Amino acid sequence: MDTLDSHRIGELVSRDRVHRSIYTDPAIFEREMRMIFARAWIYVGHESQIPHPGDFVTGVIGRQPIVMSRHTDGKVYVIYNSCGHRGAIVCNDAKGSAKLFRCCYHGWTFKTNGDLDAVSLPRGYGERFDTADPSLGMGRLPRVDTYRGFVFASLAADGPGLDEHLGFAGHSIDELVDRAPDGEIDVSGGVHKYMFHGNWKFQLENSVDMYHVPFSHESTVSRSGRQFARRRGTEAGSAISDQGAAAARWEQRGAWGARTAGHSFAGHQPVAEETPNDDPAYQAYVALLEARHGAERAAEILRPKRHNTAFFPNMTLQALNQHVRVIIPLAVDRTEVRVYPIRLKGAPRELNRDAIRQLNLTHSAASLIQTDDMECFRRCQDGVQAENSEWVWFARGADNDVEDERGDYVNRGTVELPQRAQYAAWARYMSGEA
Amino acid sequence: MAETTAAEAPAAAFDKAEIEAFLTHEADLLDERRFDEWRDLFDEDGYYWVPLSPDQENPDDEVSLFYDDRETMETRFARLAHPRIHAQSPPTRTCRIVGNFRIEDGDTEPGSCIVASKLILVDYRQGDQRLFAARVRHKLRRASTGFRIAWKKVELINCDDVFGVIAIPF
Repeated sequence: MDTLDSHRIGELVSRDRVHRSIYTDPAIFEREMRMIFARAWIYVGHESQIPHPGDFVTGVIGRQPIVMSRHTDGKVYVIYNSCGHRGAIVCNDAKGSAKLFRCCYHGWTFKTNGDLDAVSLPRGYGERFDTADPSLGMGRLPRVDTYRGFVFASLAADGPGLDEHLGFAGHSIDELVDRAPDGEIDVSGGVHKYMFHGNWKFQLENSVDMYHVPFSHESTVSRSGRQFARRRGTEAGSAISDQGAAAARWEQRGAWGARTAGHSFAGHQPVAEETPNDDPAYQAYVALLEARHGAERAAEILRPKRHNTAFFPNMTLQALNQHVRVIIPLAVDRTEVRVYPIRLKGAPRELNRDAIRQLNLTHSAASLIQTDDMECFRRCQDGVQAENSEWVWFARGADNDVEDERGDYVNRGTVELPQRAQYAAWARYMSGEA
Repeated sequence: MAETTAAEAPAAAFDKAEIEAFLTHEADLLDERRFDEWRDLFDEDGYYWVPLSPDQENPDDEVSLFYDDRETMETRFARLAHPRIHAQSPPTRTCRIVGNFRIEDGDTEPGSCIVASKLILVDYRQGDQRLFAARVRHKLRRASTGFRIAWKKVELINCDDVFGVIAIPF
């Protein structure tokens, strides 16, 4: 084990604060790659990105290049994007469709489940060469599982199953998918990709941070205290303020954090603030849901519950501006983020079109929201170099966290409970307990 | 002798020098951060589109870097004028060159034309200087005073790249 033994990891995280070095120390980043990204369930994509046999998308888990593909058996595979011969990247495009994967270097071919298909000029190899040797294929990741179309994979052969890992946070996926009239979502509507100078954990923290909104995003709030409209049929968006009635409503949001897995969500603000949505397309959508589920269940599905959910360590899900976000750590101070719009299958086209357009406004690299977050992440990365303090604080509401019946933690309002849950899990992974 | 209608010879109805002057003026408005004046160049139903993939067919089925109608532009530029826009404190400086203007064939709407051009844009903020290059197309309509933009589409050569903050339209 390196100099960062589990004892020292324990000193870096306490209940209400983390040591600044976790954002700046390259040795800690390397350890995160091994202890978190090479062990945990990592979100790799959604089945709707690869609807047909031969379809694939490429990505990385930690530093390891991977391919998520649909094989001729109709199943989803997650394989290493590396030739079993000399190791070259085999699938060079971000996405595509192929009968076989062919390495550019010496022309070896692989099936879309990663198995070796054929070796070029095979007679040149000696007796010891056995094409049945699985290590000559691209290789499958030890564990792959899906939850309602969301594909997760783990580089570790052992560990808790996906259902256990997701736990109560899995209901955030249910809540979103249930909103589709056909009971399925589509994640093939392109992708926003942005990069920031800053540690990956700044993005994970931020996705479930309800405290920063009136300050980081002050430039999106009008003089009347409302943000621009974020959904069809409403003229203005949420009332956002650091004082008065709007702030009081924000303090009524729920907050939840998993006891062990590190997932968390920030609840939606109370329904009372929602303006009635009498847009015809929205009403048609409600009618479709009611036809499928009945009025009572449809109303329950539509009742806003969870706003943002962060699945430790690399995925977040947002219900309001429907999207999946994937966090890709590149270096201790450099992070890439991909934001995929979610379309509700069976919903009126206008609704899905508006969801796509709204995501441009909130999460594009040229958006009105995400850009201020990226700036704040950059300033955090540069700022935590200062030695005025050893700590970054997540103490807000720490005295009021309550254990729920599952043994998870709940609280209310703009608390930093989600971040406390994230760092409790971070410490478990980093010290080898998880 | 029959009168030539705009529909029969749309390109001929436009003076290339006049178009070049207009599009150069448009570029200057953006570099000089005169965003409200830039917005006012667009028709009431005009839009500005920057796709995120080279073969993106429309702005409805896939996300875009920008897809702004005039109302969205209002929101965007109100924010750019806000004193607490962190991503623009300090602001980005831009310098662009537009050229290679060509009036395209095939636009049959009377009084309008589609103009293809090339854009090279350098922007700078806090130690970070970037270079963008794009093929640009404008649909222009003849107005009582000069032109109005029906739409502007910017095809960045790196449209599917991973971007840092982009605050100013191309």
